[in-house]
Amino acid sequence: MVDTCAISGFDGIMENTIMPLSAMATIASALICGFTYMISQVITNPKLSLWAKTEAVQLIFSAGSVFLLIMLMNTFCTMKVSEVASLFGKSSDSISVYDAAAKYLADAGYYSIRALTVVRFHLEAYSVLGALSVFECEFAGGIGCLFGYSGTNIQALGGYGAHQAALGIFFNSTIMSVISALNFLFILQYVYRGFVVMFLPLGIFMRSMPYMRTFGALLISVSISFLTVYPFLLSVFYIMEDAILDKPAYEPGSFGDYYDETIYSEGGAGESLEAAVAGTDAVYENYFPNGDNAAGAMMFAVYAFIAAVFLPTAALLGTIGTIAYLTRMYGEEIDLSRILQMV
Amino acid sequence: MGKLTFIFLIAFIPAAFAGGWEGTAAMALAISGGFLGITYAVGMGLGINELQIMSKEELYQLIATGLLVALLVGGNNVIDGLSGGMGSGGQNLQDTAISVIDDTLTNPTSGMLGIYNSVTTIDNKVAKESSKTMSCSIVSIGYTVSACGGYSMLSTPLSMSGSIVGFAIGELYSMKRLINISKNYAMSLLLPIGIVLRTFKFTRGAGGFLIAVAISMHILIPAGILFNQMLVDTFIAEAGSGYSGGLSTTVEDCDPSSGIGVYGGDQGAQDTLALFRTDLQQVVFSVLVRGTLGPVLALLIMTAGIRALTSLGGAEVDVSALGRFV
Repeated sequence: MVDTCAISGFDGIMENTIMPLSAMATIASALICGFTYMISQVITNPKLSLWAKTEAVQLIFSAGSVFLLIMLMNTFCTMKVSEVASLFGKSSDSISVYDAAAKYLADAGYYSIRALTVVRFHLEAYSVLGALSVFECEFAGGIGCLFGYSGTNIQALGGYGAHQAALGIFFNSTIMSVISALNFLFILQYVYRGFVVMFLPLGIFMRSMPYMRTFGALLISVSISFLTVYPFLLSVFYIMEDAILDKPAYEPGSFGDYYDETIYSEGGAGESLEAAVAGTDAVYENYFPNGDNAAGAMMFAVYAFIAAVFLPTAALLGTIGTIAYLTRMYGEEIDLSRILQMV
Repeated sequence: MGKLTFIFLIAFIPAAFAGGWEGTAAMALAISGGFLGITYAVGMGLGINELQIMSKEELYQLIATGLLVALLVGGNNVIDGLSGGMGSGGQNLQDTAISVIDDTLTNPTSGMLGIYNSVTTIDNKVAKESSKTMSCSIVSIGYTVSACGGYSMLSTPLSMSGSIVGFAIGELYSMKRLINISKNYAMSLLLPIGIVLRTFKFTRGAGGFLIAVAISMHILIPAGILFNQMLVDTFIAEAGSGYSGGLSTTVEDCDPSSGIGVYGGDQGAQDTLALFRTDLQQVVFSVLVRGTLGPVLALLIMTAGIRALTSLGGAEVDVSALGRFV
């Protein structure tokens, strides 16, 4: 059975968990309102009566959110990003908004891993090349070293401390890019599969409870925003992948020389033998047949950072901004500055 | 009827624009106007006053967005005209900013890539010289002297220099990337989608955010780069060319055997340090002011712009998290 938007298990969660829980929360809240109304009639308390009526109206508004959410989700499932793109003279793949959001983050992760590989390749090469040392025998034209030794020990290819210090920063940032892309992807998967299970029914229930309307409004707003705005913003980035992720090559230029991670994978014996037989320059050429490209590696790393950290964070901030706006729409003002600091 | 006419007129806004992103933005306004027109008509047809009131209310929001776009069109043209006259080869604000970034990166005398190359070349040579040790041993009796060890004092400052210049290169590339993304998509995709989203009440926050991001990326990042360049040009004109240049430091060869007993390697290391110290003045300005402060300034202006514009758009988004990437 194909689920909504081809998200496996989605229909099951929606039909078997969210809808019944929301219905139960609505009925429980309605019962409380009804019971309160009856009490108010018995003790002739107009304030209590007014409260019950107000809460009943709010309950209808909250329950309406579930239908609004389902309607929006169905729209996003049927709407293709290619259609959105073509509205504005752009082109993209014919996949749903939800798929496009997940694919953007997966692609950003892939792009970051490629950047990480290039940076790591350079760092490894500089470490190996910097550690290569040669003993130049000067004792009786070299023959003397059969009996003793006299000569100069030298770091044949020089040092690469400046390269390593510079690339170390970008290595860290690229690792962060990979982790960030995966983190945002897992957030998205969690939103698709489990987020609303708890937040939406709880929000409906809480919104009808005394003193808990702000909290309930927040939960409903979080559900709606994360299930609609957040994937939509990411799907917009998917349309922009050729500029953000250099689609279809997924690399900003030519980095084919720097993906081979098998050089000297068995240890240093090969390197030593090669240096002794073919000279130290051969070791350098083994890593960099066409020269190194540290600046290019840095460029790749910052592009990955923009794609996997900066833009998804911007999408998250936009989503949080929508949450604040929605809670205001539900009649409550909340301060999300603390949550923002966690971002 | 008057308002319906206005909605009808909005649908023809595209005719008022020549093309490019302006046409797309106008089309988005027209789509939004169309949605509101349909909502108003449904409200009128079914006699639902609330729907009509909501449509009117949303229409005011659309007019505000339209005014914002019109202001942007005018403002952008003025800025393009000013930046095109900066003589950096760009036809508009974005191209001029990219020319400035490219010059900061690749200028033959003071470009970051050249400085980075010089730093790493010096570092490589210094490490090679400092590694030289002289050994002599016969029948297990002998000595090892690190007569060129004086060079090793240079490794730490050179590593630090490499990381600082590398950071500047990364910042410049990131700014260039953001401008290139904005050139392709900010006004032709993000802005119109933002306008459409801003039409609906429950997506107004996201719409306002997208509009703010589009405008900030398209105008404020390049403006920040150019603003910093103007300050740099003014400073160089006042202070002279001594603050703009590359590294000319050379590293002398060290012979570990010639100086045994008198520490002969030290003099070469001291000479290198002296040359490096002399070069620092002009390199520090290029790296820290042109290469680092410029992008930081542009990013801060962008984040401040997003916050101000989202607030103007009706949904304040705290983008201080983006500012922390600086």
